[in-house]
Amino acid sequence: MIHWYNLVLLYLWIAPHLLLTWVAFLLLKRRLHVKYPVFFGYVCYEIIEFVLLFLVSQRNLNLGAYYAHIYLGTLAISTALRFGVIQEIFDNIFREQKQSETVARVSLRWTTLFLVTLAILCSVFSSGHTSSTLIAGTAWVERGVAIIQCGLVLFLFLFSGLLGLSLQSYAFGMAFGFGVLSSVELANWAMHTEDLSVSAAKVLNLLPTGGYHVAVVVWLGYLIIPARIRIQHSERPMAEMKEWNLALKRFLL
Amino acid sequence: MEPGIEAIFAMSPAAIYIGLAVLVVIALTSVAVRQRRGPLALDHARSLMGSLDIEAFRNLVDPEEEIFLRSCLPADEFLKIKRERAWAALAYARALSHIALQFSRFGNAARGSDDPSLAELGKQIAADAVEMRMLALATMGRLFIIATFPSLRLPSPQSLIEHHGRSIGLLARYSMLQSARRQTS
Repeated sequence: MIHWYNLVLLYLWIAPHLLLTWVAFLLLKRRLHVKYPVFFGYVCYEIIEFVLLFLVSQRNLNLGAYYAHIYLGTLAISTALRFGVIQEIFDNIFREQKQSETVARVSLRWTTLFLVTLAILCSVFSSGHTSSTLIAGTAWVERGVAIIQCGLVLFLFLFSGLLGLSLQSYAFGMAFGFGVLSSVELANWAMHTEDLSVSAAKVLNLLPTGGYHVAVVVWLGYLIIPARIRIQHSERPMAEMKEWNLALKRFLL
Repeated sequence: MEPGIEAIFAMSPAAIYIGLAVLVVIALTSVAVRQRRGPLALDHARSLMGSLDIEAFRNLVDPEEEIFLRSCLPADEFLKIKRERAWAALAYARALSHIALQFSRFGNAARGSDDPSLAELGKQIAADAVEMRMLALATMGRLFIIATFPSLRLPSPQSLIEHHGRSIGLLARYSMLQSARRQTS
């Protein structure tokens, strides 16, 4: 049982980062690193972070005492980069829509302010039961961050859907992946504020890495097979032409 | 206290966050699945446009028509008529808003065309449709306010009608260009 668990944990830790190298390769090959530099930077950072943490976790290097601090430090940078990617997706949507850009920026500012307030209120009024100060503190902050990131991704989809704006397939895939990742992290850090049994904590350890795996598969999927809406051609071009002419006449008269 | 409400308060905060997280994932997945839908037909955009009587909408929001009614009718009767006209116009504005959404989807799909001219037209259709959608939503808000407080005077949504005309023109150009390309190929 323990052996099975350790294998799954190791797989969920290593596999997403191997897939991320494929994501980085596809971004370079399609020259998307020029259009989405922050996302490309985030992908490269995650690979480097994994290599660093993997080396630190090796027993023969005797760096285990520093693991927690290095993990928290790299987590902070990763969180900041994720906010940068969400901003990049937002800028990408409104780059060619000058008319709606002002409305979008004002709406985004107010939404962010609302989400930050909500995250603070949730943290203040929710009481945690975990005995570890470090875990409680990290869970307190990361839960708030997950609320904000989840909310921003939802706002992105709702606002673009309201105005009929289309997220290009790659941007949609990035946003979808981050949405899944933020949701899983919200659930994960929320559960970390509770006092958990050893077996429950073991199962919980699989959640963030499992969610991360799903997010990376989503990014990879959208890079390999981007969604493309096709136009169906009319079978009656002449009849259609007459109807357009009629519609135009009604408008002009 | 009702048993259902008591159960909600008894749930731990973690359970609420987990529920929210699950809802978010379901919502995002449904959007992703809908994005990979079947092909968009130009016929659909055209039929939507043909179904709307833009002249009737133009009449309902015409400021000169309002001046005429104000001069002919007693104050109470005028306010009652104005309210009814605003509710009727609101239905048209809602339809225009839906049409703008369909135009935007069509325009964004057309942007992916291999033909540069069609792709450029698709980009224009999409941009115009987004502006029309924003105008339609703003018009719906104004008409709702007028329907609720008919004594207020708010600007007429003429620019929305102009945008609708422009969108028809762009879609007609797209249709003609697409037909010409197919005939030459």
